[in-house]
Amino acid sequence: MLKYIVRRVLIFIPTLFAISLFAFVISINAPGDPVENLYEGAKNGNGAAAISESMIRGKEQLRRELGLDLPVFYFTFTSLSEPDTIYKIRDKGEREALSRMLDRFGNWPQIEQWYVCLNQLRQATGVSVTTDSIFRATYTQDSVLAVSDQCSQKIASLFRTDSPEEIVSKLDFLKRETERISKFGQNNFLAPIMDPLKKCFAAFADVQANSSVWKTYVPSLHFYGYNQYHRWLFGDGNWITGAGSTHCEGIIRGDFGISYSTRKKVTETIARALPWSMLFTIVSILFAYLISIPLGVQAAAKRGSLFDRSSSIILFMLYSLPTFFMGTLLILTFANPDVFSVLPANGVKPATGYPLDATLWGKFKITWPYMILPLICYTYSSLAFLSRTMRVAMLEITSQDYIRTAKAKGLSYYLVIYKHGLRNALLPIITVFANIFPLAVGGSVILEFLFGIPGMGPEILTAVQTKDYPMIVAVFTLSGFMTLVGYLVADILYAFADPRISYSSK
Amino acid sequence: MSNQAEKETAIPTNTDFSFRKYAWKQFKHNKPAYVSFYILVSLAVLAILAPYIANERPLYIKYKGQSFYPAFTFETNYRFTDPATGDSINLQLDIADWKRMEFESVWWPLIPWSPGKSDPANRRFVGPGDPQRFIDAKGDTLYIPSRFKHRLGTNESGDDVLAGLIHGTRISLSIGFISMGIASIIGLFLGAISGYFGDNRLRAKRGCYYMILLSLPFAWFYAFSVRVYHLTDSLEVSGMAFLGQLLLSILIFALVVMLFSRIGKLISRGKWLGKEVFVPLDTFISRGIEILNSIPVLILIISLAAMTKEYSIIYVMVIIGLTSWTGIARFTRAEFLRIRQMDYIQAAEAMGFTERRIIFRHALVNGMAPSLVSVAFGIAAAILIESGLSFIGVGLPNDIVTWGKLLNQGRENFHAWWLIVFPGIAIFITVTVYNLIGEGLRDALDPKLKR
Repeated sequence: MLKYIVRRVLIFIPTLFAISLFAFVISINAPGDPVENLYEGAKNGNGAAAISESMIRGKEQLRRELGLDLPVFYFTFTSLSEPDTIYKIRDKGEREALSRMLDRFGNWPQIEQWYVCLNQLRQATGVSVTTDSIFRATYTQDSVLAVSDQCSQKIASLFRTDSPEEIVSKLDFLKRETERISKFGQNNFLAPIMDPLKKCFAAFADVQANSSVWKTYVPSLHFYGYNQYHRWLFGDGNWITGAGSTHCEGIIRGDFGISYSTRKKVTETIARALPWSMLFTIVSILFAYLISIPLGVQAAAKRGSLFDRSSSIILFMLYSLPTFFMGTLLILTFANPDVFSVLPANGVKPATGYPLDATLWGKFKITWPYMILPLICYTYSSLAFLSRTMRVAMLEITSQDYIRTAKAKGLSYYLVIYKHGLRNALLPIITVFANIFPLAVGGSVILEFLFGIPGMGPEILTAVQTKDYPMIVAVFTLSGFMTLVGYLVADILYAFADPRISYSSK
Repeated sequence: MSNQAEKETAIPTNTDFSFRKYAWKQFKHNKPAYVSFYILVSLAVLAILAPYIANERPLYIKYKGQSFYPAFTFETNYRFTDPATGDSINLQLDIADWKRMEFESVWWPLIPWSPGKSDPANRRFVGPGDPQRFIDAKGDTLYIPSRFKHRLGTNESGDDVLAGLIHGTRISLSIGFISMGIASIIGLFLGAISGYFGDNRLRAKRGCYYMILLSLPFAWFYAFSVRVYHLTDSLEVSGMAFLGQLLLSILIFALVVMLFSRIGKLISRGKWLGKEVFVPLDTFISRGIEILNSIPVLILIISLAAMTKEYSIIYVMVIIGLTSWTGIARFTRAEFLRIRQMDYIQAAEAMGFTERRIIFRHALVNGMAPSLVSVAFGIAAAILIESGLSFIGVGLPNDIVTWGKLLNQGRENFHAWWLIVFPGIAIFITVTVYNLIGEGLRDALDPKLKR
């Protein structure tokens, strides 16, 4: 048995690895740049504001803290045209635009030159205006700012453009503006960008002239050492040495990183939400077992009776009844001022919270009315399935010879059914038991949403809406892990319930 | 194809007995399942005919001496000349206020309302029993003529609930069919080959085997890495465009693998490369199923919903299809493990048929039956997932009316009970029907219950 468990756990490792990789791939490919989302300054800034020095440094800092300045994975399998250092371009949008250009032209040296020129162009923008009378007649201070703002916006948008037509039209716009302003001589506030602009034109013409598209169809393999996935999995080592400002311990030690929306540790959020989900899942499964086992057994024992038929029909209807419909109906009936207003509709505690001196028992006394409706919904769905499974399993058992023998021996009805019969009918029940584990982590998103339970469900929903990928990845990995644990527990329980199942020979 | 297979495999007897006929007979005996089957057929008819049952455009009008069929056309306007006055008339079909126009003759659909087109006179949750208003051609407000009554009430913006329900049938049924269609293709194929070959029946020359393993990253590169921007850009265009690009990628993938296996055949010579080894197909597929089962499907769909810019119903179908084939694969695998031992498979082998032919033309037609049960239950589950997603407000675009969305509107306004009860009953009936059919199929196809 022990040998079997050890072997099962060993098989888990590649599966877990695959799940974590899957979750990681989702988070990497998510749209939007987490740093942009996180950096408050970026929220009200447009293209022009994004170039301020302190902001760039702040973003740089944040990127390092989140480990986003590292290569993504241990290796990349990309086209020959893509350089192995493209991950060093920090901004996700710029990186994508360059990568799209690579996809179109396939000549990194030229595109790199173009990127360098573009950066020079960006650095050259800045307003220094001295005014004289002719100039003032044409431009007020405001319109000078407007023109230069427009130019910087165009330049900023050039970084995120890959289609040649758009690039050319944007460059042309800049050229026209500089030519227009250049007639003001010393007042030419666009003078600093003239040189870099010429270089940009040349560089882009070079990109278009020397395209090597064939390179995009040749695969090449690059290896990296320390990377984002490694850091995510095993931590960055700072937690041992104490160096650096952040300590990422890696999911292997239960650290899922910091949330992109709240900047708090994901584990803290989970620790707050998880108990509620677990409470509802575990209590409801307990109820479901307590009701369904006797129900299923009785129905099977009195096969064809009125009780059997009516319970079958009711359970079948419950089985097909969507929980959200049932839940809404329950709220509509029992928490509705128009019908019966006997139970609270939403949440798990009063809006004012618990009294400060409340004991655990006191908290329970306050909370239990809130739990009734959700628990009915949680319970009936698994109850219907469990009883039906139980009945079928029991029916198969009661037709077996050994049950007839037990009856013939004159054993009491309860002894025959519950001691001899039930134990062998437990296998499907155990299978269902394995499903609790992932459910307890993921919670029932729909029911928690409906009843306003502050469990994992609403956390997952907000995480999705705010694109808080560390949270989503944490839920994925945890529930994948718990599924595997559930399988293992079920396998062990099988062996206890039915000693004929032997794992040593397998 | 199936007829031929039947001819090949059926035992020639005096009675025209076949398993399929027997199963159908059994299924018919199961009254609830049989009735469900007919309810499902009528739901499908309802879904197909939805635009002609619930539509704000009349089926037929006679307007100024001309006859038109507005419900049957996709045109946005009719231009014609009034024979009486000689004026040119432009009838704008998409914005015409049909109910306030005067026609010489008009045939209305059964429910003269379209989903998503609001009735301004009956805004803010007018119930089926409440007095409903109607503004006639002169602008007077009066009680609604029974012809135009909102039989099941309206929602906040004044949309007819019954029209929404009827059009919602299309979404629910197509979600079930398409997602389970995808799932059955994957599940049947993988289940069949993993059950048929197991771990120690598929032999391949070592060179060929390793070449195919080696081909996978290259196939991935050419099918997906190179085309990544085609795929992501098509995501933003439409769901159908994405599906097309995805199919093209899969085709490229298959081509590259085939190319490599050809090369593998060429190099499979000599002592080491030419030696035959077992391919542990069953282990690969079982491990894959285990991984897929560990992924929380609902959370996966929700997070993918957030990833795509414009969310389309196709994604829900594709994701449900791609994640829910494991049940079908397991059933098919178990069935194939049994079929593999049958005499007729050995006979086919002895006749020298290729393995492809044996699997897909002899075994699959016989091994498909149990997976049908899984498909029926799977469709019920897919419908539940979709309506649950609509209910929590994740997913489908705003202009599509689904049952779950109607229910969600009712959740926010408890006095509008008609928005909760009717869509809920619609979901309940559809799910029950599929579950009953699944039960009926299981009883009909289970050899243990054979009389």
